[in-house]
Amino acid sequence: MTNPYQVLGVSENATDEEIKSAYRALAKKYHPDNYTNSPLADVAEQKMKEINEAYDTINQMRQKGKGTGSSSNTGGYNGNASGSQFYNVRIYIQRNMIDQAEQILDVTPQGNRTAEWHFLKGMCAFRRGFSEQAFNYFTTACNMDPNNYEYRSALNNMNTQRTYNYGGYNQPYGDNMGDSNSICCDICTAMMCAECLCSCCR
Amino acid sequence: MQFNPYSVIIKNTYNIIGCIALFGYLQIQKSELKVCEYDSYKAVYCGLCKQLGKDYSFLTRLILSYDCTFYAMLLMSVSRTCTGFVRKRCTCNPFKKCNFARCKSDSYNKATAFTVISAYYKIKDDIADGNFLKKLRSYLVLPFFSHWRKKAVKKYGYTELDSLVSNMLSMQLEDENSDTSNIDTSAHPTALMLAKLFESEAKTENDKRVYYEFGYNIGRWIYLIDAADDLQKDLKNNNFNPFVRANRADYNYIQAVLNQSLARAFYAYNLMNITDFKGILDNMLLLGFPAMQNKVVSKLKTEVEND
Repeated sequence: MTNPYQVLGVSENATDEEIKSAYRALAKKYHPDNYTNSPLADVAEQKMKEINEAYDTINQMRQKGKGTGSSSNTGGYNGNASGSQFYNVRIYIQRNMIDQAEQILDVTPQGNRTAEWHFLKGMCAFRRGFSEQAFNYFTTACNMDPNNYEYRSALNNMNTQRTYNYGGYNQPYGDNMGDSNSICCDICTAMMCAECLCSCCR
Repeated sequence: MQFNPYSVIIKNTYNIIGCIALFGYLQIQKSELKVCEYDSYKAVYCGLCKQLGKDYSFLTRLILSYDCTFYAMLLMSVSRTCTGFVRKRCTCNPFKKCNFARCKSDSYNKATAFTVISAYYKIKDDIADGNFLKKLRSYLVLPFFSHWRKKAVKKYGYTELDSLVSNMLSMQLEDENSDTSNIDTSAHPTALMLAKLFESEAKTENDKRVYYEFGYNIGRWIYLIDAADDLQKDLKNNNFNPFVRANRADYNYIQAVLNQSLARAFYAYNLMNITDFKGILDNMLLLGFPAMQNKVVSKLKTEVEND
């Protein structure tokens, strides 16, 4: 197994505090929110898993015996897959088989082109790198079914990327771990995680 | 107080050859770099310049671009081929001593071959649809570039690079003449070219996808920012421009499209294994590129408001 300290990019003599902030910085970097609908979502998820494991290992080695609080599941892209008329399409997209997915979508008759159809079409375009088409499809999907959380969050994600929120200006430049403004972020993140958990149970 | 005896010659030749250099949008934000980082950036630049001189000719040094430097730097970073620096005399200015980054594999050669090949195709493209002056200049330098390109392909064996670039241009031409062309399809050829270029560096299956996504979105960004940069000119001369074609020539929209490409490139970049030159590459992605984008978009904004 690889050295957990290396995974987090800290030295073996680092203090607990340093390790914690290194872990947090990486967790922020690989956060699934950054990779919503991205073709690289699974790669990011894997990285997230690696750092979670590394952090757990270090904690255990240091005999804290505590968990990490990092076990927030990364979920990924599931949607309400079963019971959907485009179940196959979703499976194809999940496996990155975009050509097959689009084939099914393209033969769908005009009348059956629901909000979900537009959403999935947008997913295909997005995975191909055609961000503009994806944006249009997501917008249409949202207009057709404004209450659907899945479509809405896809569109929101697009909007985030289209404004300067991708990190260029908001992220502390230079990979400084443990910056002072992280307390606020941590609270927000914690709230968000808690929120997720709540909605899971319900 | 440095006197450069070559400066006059260089300046004149540069006017003829230098503007052929690809785009030059992939720049650093110098003010935010550490001095040592800036020095190594320059050392890579100088190393590339030397390599261009060595592999091709003195004149090819003039087409060295920042894009090429970025590409070489990324190659050297992911394949860890930089082996240190040497201090030698600068060939262009013998009175000056420079640092040169050394590289143990073909990262430099690949970057220079790519520069030469894409310059050749750019000239061919100018001949096809440039104005009179551009055509004249292109005809003048074409024999040299076709010689260098042949050298890159035959002597150094970069056949795939050559077919990548030529495919890109034919796809581009096809798109410009197609009725269904939109912003995504117009940016696709350039994006695909860089995607494949970077993809070929990856070793594992996952890395391949990460590099592809990164290359794709950087390529898309380059194409679109160039289109935004030329928007006013293209409007005046009635040339093809994807934003005009899509009827979306307003700067807020352009800004959003560019942001998204950069964002996607950045997230892919985060999944890459960058070790060497990390500070410099981070600087480019987080500050240099957005700064360049702001420059182009605000230029566009003032032009639009003045019209």
